[in-house]
Amino acid sequence: MSTLDIYDPAQCCATGACSPDADDELAQFASSLEWLKQCGVAVSRYNLGHQPGAFAQNTMVKGTLEKDGIACLPLVIADGKIVSKGRYPTRGELGQQLGVAEQAGCAPAAPGAKRCCG
Amino acid sequence: MKVLERPTRNLFFTGKGGVGKTSTSCAVAVALADRGKSVLLVSTDPASNLDEVFDTPLTNAPTAISAVPRLQAMNVDPEAAAAAYRERVVGPYRSLLPADAVASIEEQLAGACTVEIAAFDEFAKLIGDRDMAARYDHIVFDTAPTGHTLRLLALPAAWSGFFGSSVSGTSCVGPLQGMAAQRDLYSAAVASLSDPLVTTMTLVSRAERSALEEAERTSVELAELGVRNQALVLNGVFQPKGTDDPVAVAMHRQERAAIAAMPARIAALERSVIPLKPRQVVGVEALRGFFTDFDGGTVLPLPHRPRSLPDFAQLVDQLQSGGRGLVMTMGKGGVGKTTVASRIAVELARRGFAVHLTTTDPAAHVAAAVGRVPENLTSGEINPRLEVERYRAEVMATTGAKLDANGRALLEEDLSSPCTEEIAVFQAFARVVEEARDRFVVVDTAPTGHTILLLDAAQAYHKEVMRQAKSVSDAVRNLLPRLRDPAFTRIVLCTLAEATPVHEAAALQRDLRRAGIEPYAWLVNQSLAPLALTDPLLLARRAQEGRYIDEVADTHAGRAFILPWEAGVSASVESSPEQVARIA
Repeated sequence: MSTLDIYDPAQCCATGACSPDADDELAQFASSLEWLKQCGVAVSRYNLGHQPGAFAQNTMVKGTLEKDGIACLPLVIADGKIVSKGRYPTRGELGQQLGVAEQAGCAPAAPGAKRCCG
Repeated sequence: MKVLERPTRNLFFTGKGGVGKTSTSCAVAVALADRGKSVLLVSTDPASNLDEVFDTPLTNAPTAISAVPRLQAMNVDPEAAAAAYRERVVGPYRSLLPADAVASIEEQLAGACTVEIAAFDEFAKLIGDRDMAARYDHIVFDTAPTGHTLRLLALPAAWSGFFGSSVSGTSCVGPLQGMAAQRDLYSAAVASLSDPLVTTMTLVSRAERSALEEAERTSVELAELGVRNQALVLNGVFQPKGTDDPVAVAMHRQERAAIAAMPARIAALERSVIPLKPRQVVGVEALRGFFTDFDGGTVLPLPHRPRSLPDFAQLVDQLQSGGRGLVMTMGKGGVGKTTVASRIAVELARRGFAVHLTTTDPAAHVAAAVGRVPENLTSGEINPRLEVERYRAEVMATTGAKLDANGRALLEEDLSSPCTEEIAVFQAFARVVEEARDRFVVVDTAPTGHTILLLDAAQAYHKEVMRQAKSVSDAVRNLLPRLRDPAFTRIVLCTLAEATPVHEAAALQRDLRRAGIEPYAWLVNQSLAPLALTDPLLLARRAQEGRYIDEVADTHAGRAFILPWEAGVSASVESSPEQVARIA
């Protein structure tokens, strides 16, 4: 089974409520994760503010943090490989990395999901 | 005094800073102990002066007050409790994670929510603990949990770790998740708060319109949460001696008008009126006379007069030097920051500058008042309630649409947090500031250091994603560097010449400094110091101000100015159109 690990930055209310723009990017990303779960990917998500241990214990994450600083967050790791730093990948990118066709339709497509914005 | 006739076990006193919660709760605690009850008095004010009041050094454990048998007192500092919580989370990782990662965790946990939850944790330990219950007949608190905290605790999702797993792992309840072991204790505490046989919630207010309106809001909010056993204390009600002193007469008339116009719900509560004291209530004897002393004892002969400070015109002289820029007035509720902002705007316009004034008090009607002023003064309004509603609707329609019922309930409560209101208001005034680069923009609010740091972090993050996602709006992006530019932005911290407002303003200043912003000036508002007075009580109050004026000028302020109390423009009526018009 494929695995996807997301290391999120510390944010005050990362529900989006406290971000400077009411930002549905986070929600879109969350819906992409739901889709991947339905497709059988094991998804884990860690927040620096509440699970700092997860960051300290993973040598790849810790090393990237030391090299790039917190700008590397969110850090997305698929099957042990870094997929993206400092941004949330699109559904297309995630599917490609994990070998899940975007048309796979494991679950109903989430409303408003963006395809790609390069 | 209702709470003295049928005292419940838990007695909470709530109200905004400077209304006399600590004095009232001390006096109640002493009175109950004098009647043979064993009493614990708890102060949760970070700037508590209980030590001074009882002349006894206190700690965060109960300490006997020698002058009052059966009374013990303690200080609990929610800021310190929040700091201890932060350290529990962050401490183990200091040596394991890079410094910027540790700093970002700390900032996330530096918000008002963490302090509120930490304060509740302290309440819960005291009112939910059986040993404590057995040891005291009464526990008296000089503050109370907020409605926001109580609603959070009532949500099942707050305890389930819902957000930890499914959306993004953090919300206002982050601190709660760290304290999940306490759940039973919290439930017991919440239950006893809404039991009228166990808990009385006393709202403390001054006889001022804005303070009474805030008490009304608190009363409604608490009642909705089941906390219905409420009482009202009107503290510091002024009774002039004779009719010779025009200031005294005007002050008295203003208070009577505010009391006559008191909102319905609090007007129906059992009410105690406590007379204005000539000086700070310090010492057990003063506390014993607290409910009855209308004269406040004898007034010292000819008390000394506080030092003079530069006046309002001199403040405006300095503000106008740049010819344009952003002027923000800042301060806790009740210090008159809306009035001060209007006066600065009007004065700058009168001197020929183009000025735009924006206020956040929806009842201020400043727009109407300044309509009489030349075209070079325009005005607008940011209504925090409408901004939050708009923001909430937006977030619920996007993020909220993707969550289940529990998740939505929790997101809604996140959106009721103090941080959210600040963010919503900040966005609104970022737009206003953007509108006017070639003039003065005067705003009656300023973001806290915490908000600025969060926005800054978000901005750094969004820089990375700009190509992919929508970025922070241009208005916000442009505003952050300007806020830090002392040539463009000037913050005027407003306070009163009293203990609590000065300490609260000092806390705001510390928070701004964290974000690299230095307030331009302090303004001591509604001061008696510059006034000619004859009323003996007001003379004594004026002498009392000296200590706080000194503290502002010597300890806190780079530049300090003073604005005298004026009939019609004090906090109690600052919003009425006629009166604001009069200054124009």
